[in-house]
Amino acid sequence: MSYKLLLAASAVAILGASPAMAADDADLGALRAEIAAMREAYESKIEALENKVHSLEARQESTAEKVAKVQPSAGASVPATSTRQVNDNSFNPEIGVILQGNYQSFSEDESEFGGFAVGEEAERGKEGLGIDETELNFSASIDDKFRGAATVALHEHGGETEVEIEEAYVATNALPYGMEVKAGRFFSELGYLNSHHSHADDFADRPLPNRAFLDSNYGDDGVQLSAVLPTEIYSEVGGGVFRGDDFPGGGADGADIGSWTAYGRIGDDIGDKTSWRLGVSTLQVEGGERSANEDMVIFDGDSGLYIADARFVYAPTGNNAEQEVTLQGEYFFRDENGAYDDMDAGTGPVAYDDHQSGWYAQGVYKFHPQWRVGARYSQLYAGDVPAGLVGSALDSEGHDPWAASAMVDWTNSEFSRVRAQVNREELANGQQDDQFILQYVMSLGAHGAHAY
Amino acid sequence: MKKIMITLLSGLGLLIAAPATAMADVDIFACEPEWGALAKEVGGDHASVTTATTAFQDVHHIRAKPSLLAAMRKADLIMCSGAALESGWLPVLVQKAGGPDVQPNTVGWLMASDHVQKLEVMEQADRSMGHVHPEGNPHVHLNPEYIVQLADFVADRLYQIDPDNAEAYTVNLNDFKERWNAKLAQWKAQAAGLAGMNVIVRHKNWSYLSDWAGINVVASLEPKPGLPPTSSHLESLLQSVKNKKVSAILVAPFENDDAAQWLSGKTGIPILPLPYTVGGSDRAKTQEGMFDETFEMLGKADS
Repeated sequence: MSYKLLLAASAVAILGASPAMAADDADLGALRAEIAAMREAYESKIEALENKVHSLEARQESTAEKVAKVQPSAGASVPATSTRQVNDNSFNPEIGVILQGNYQSFSEDESEFGGFAVGEEAERGKEGLGIDETELNFSASIDDKFRGAATVALHEHGGETEVEIEEAYVATNALPYGMEVKAGRFFSELGYLNSHHSHADDFADRPLPNRAFLDSNYGDDGVQLSAVLPTEIYSEVGGGVFRGDDFPGGGADGADIGSWTAYGRIGDDIGDKTSWRLGVSTLQVEGGERSANEDMVIFDGDSGLYIADARFVYAPTGNNAEQEVTLQGEYFFRDENGAYDDMDAGTGPVAYDDHQSGWYAQGVYKFHPQWRVGARYSQLYAGDVPAGLVGSALDSEGHDPWAASAMVDWTNSEFSRVRAQVNREELANGQQDDQFILQYVMSLGAHGAHAY
Repeated sequence: MKKIMITLLSGLGLLIAAPATAMADVDIFACEPEWGALAKEVGGDHASVTTATTAFQDVHHIRAKPSLLAAMRKADLIMCSGAALESGWLPVLVQKAGGPDVQPNTVGWLMASDHVQKLEVMEQADRSMGHVHPEGNPHVHLNPEYIVQLADFVADRLYQIDPDNAEAYTVNLNDFKERWNAKLAQWKAQAAGLAGMNVIVRHKNWSYLSDWAGINVVASLEPKPGLPPTSSHLESLLQSVKNKKVSAILVAPFENDDAAQWLSGKTGIPILPLPYTVGGSDRAKTQEGMFDETFEMLGKADS
C-alpha cells in the first residue's frame, strides 16, 4: 500500500508544478514532508530486506561448512545442523506425478448396481486402452507448525477430461498429546481404504461397498481432529465436521454442517512378524440431497454409514521386504431415512426408511520381493424396497450384487508396478460380467511415505 | 444400529483406558537396533528404549504400523540413521503421533548421519540409478569410531531433555567410552590385517566398515542399489571377478542370499553371513559383540 502511495506521490512530485500551483505553500510543505517520510520508510525497508538476504546467505554458507566438516564434539550439537540438505528440495514443495494407465475388457455391455443408486466413481472404468487417472501431488512443510498438500486428479469421463481437486489441506505438525488437526479437503478417516489414494491399492479397482457407499472415496471440505492416545498399545480416536457436499452427501448450501465423522482404532504387534489394526467409524450425512445414477436418482434425507475394518500383516521371515501376507476386510452398514426419487422410472419422491449393507475381504501374498498375488470377494445387500420404488434403481429384484477378483502384480521398485487382474461381477440380475484389467501404476518425482 | 455403535465405542474405550505402565524419565524411539543399543548404553536406567526394527528387517521397507505409532506417541527423543534411510515410514509416524519436541530440527530429533562424515554423497541423483540416497550413504553405523562420537551426541540430547539425571548420563557415557576405546584399539589391530582384502556385497550397506578397515568392495550383487540381482548382472559379475582374488561375499541377516549362493557355487568364494547390527547373531547381543564377531569372521575369511 505504501509503495502505491509513494508512486502516486512521486508522480505528483514529478509532474510537479500544475497541481502544486493550486496548492498553497503550507500544503506543499506538508506534502514534501510526507514524501520525505515515505522515502525514508521505503529505504529503511529495502535496507532491512538487504540485511535479511545477507544474513540468509551467511547462514547458508555456515550450514554448508558445518555439514562439510565433521563436528568435533557434542558441545556444538545444535539441532540446526540436522537440516536435510538435498532430499526432495527442502524449500520447494515436493512434487510428484502418479501415472496410472490400463487396458480393460468386459464381457457385458451393461453394468448397473442392482438395488443401489451410485455415484460416477462407482462405475467400472472405460473399456480398451486408457490413462485412467493422472494424479499430481504437491506437499511440503509450511513452517515448523504446519504442512500442506494438494492432490489434483485428471481423469476422463465420457470423453471429457475432468480436473478434480481430490485433496487440498493443511495439517498441524507438532501439536502435543498426539493430536493432529487437518483442514481443507481430504479423504476422511473412514474404515481402512477411504483415506488411501487409489495408487496405493492392492487391486486395480475398489471393492463394491467402497464404490457403492462412498463413491470410491469420501473426500469433503471440513476439519478433522485426531489424537493418538498415550496407551501401551496403539489407539487413536478422531472425528470431523464437513460441508456435506461429497457423495454420500450432496446439495450442500448455506452455513450448515452437512455431515460429520467419528472413528476409533486400536492396533499392535504379535511378535516380530505380525501386526494388526481394528477400527470402527461412522459417517453421518444430515439432510443431504444426493444425486446418483447420472443425476437420475435423488435421495433427500439423512444417511448414516457405519464401518468396521480389520487388517493383519504377517511377514513369514520377519522381513516385510521379502515376503508378506496381508489380510484386510471391511463391513459397511447404511441406515437411511428420507425419500428416493427415481426419475428414470418416474417414481416421484417415495418415503424410504431402511438399511443396506455390504462387506469385502481380501488377501494379498507377496511371495517374492517383486511379485504378489491376491484375491478379493465383495458383497452388497440391497435390502428391502418400499412398494413405491418397485421397478426403480433401488429394486434389486432379489439379486444381491457380488464380485470376485484375482490379481497378480510385479513391482520393479517402490516407484513402479504392473498388474493383471480378472473380475467376475454379478451386480444385477442377468449381468455376468467377466472383466480383465491390465494396469500400470508409476510415480515420478517425490513420493511420500505411506501409512500402515 | 446406533446402540451397537455406542457399545462398540465404549468397549474400545475400556480397552484403551487401562493406563500405561510406569514410565522411565526419557522415552527413546530408535529406528534401528544399533541406535537402540547406543541409547540404552548412555540412557541406562533412566531411558526406556523402543527399537522399531530388528536385524532381520530391511529398514528401507518398514510399515508405519500401529505399534510404532504408539511408541512414537511417547517418544522424547528419536534416534535414527537419517539421510533418508527411513523416509518411507518415519515421516508418517512423526506427523501422526510425534509431539512438538521430536520434530525435525528439535532437540528430540537425532539423525546419526547428520553428525558424521558421510560417504558417497552425490552431486546428482536420478531414480534410474536405483534407490540411491543423494544425501550420502546412510548406513553409518558400521564405522566403530562413529559410534563413540555419536555417544556424545546422545548424552548431549539427554542432558537437555532430562537435566535432572545429567550426572547419571555422564557416568554412563564415560563408562561406555572407556570400554569402547579399549575395544577400538583391538579392532584397529584386527582391521590392519584386513587392509586390501577384496569382498563382494549385496547392497552398499557395508561401505563404512570397508572404508574404515581398508577393505575393497569389488562388486555389488544388486545391479543398482535397491533393485534385486538379475541373472544378466550376475553373469557379467561372474566374468569380472574371475581373475580376482575375492575373499568373501558379505550378506546381512535380512538379505536374501539366493544370488550370493549362486555366485558362491560358481566361483567358490565363501559367503560370510555377518551380524550387520545388534541382534543379527547370537554373539551380537551388544554393539561390542557385533564388532567382535564381524572382525573375527572377516579375519578368518581373509586368511
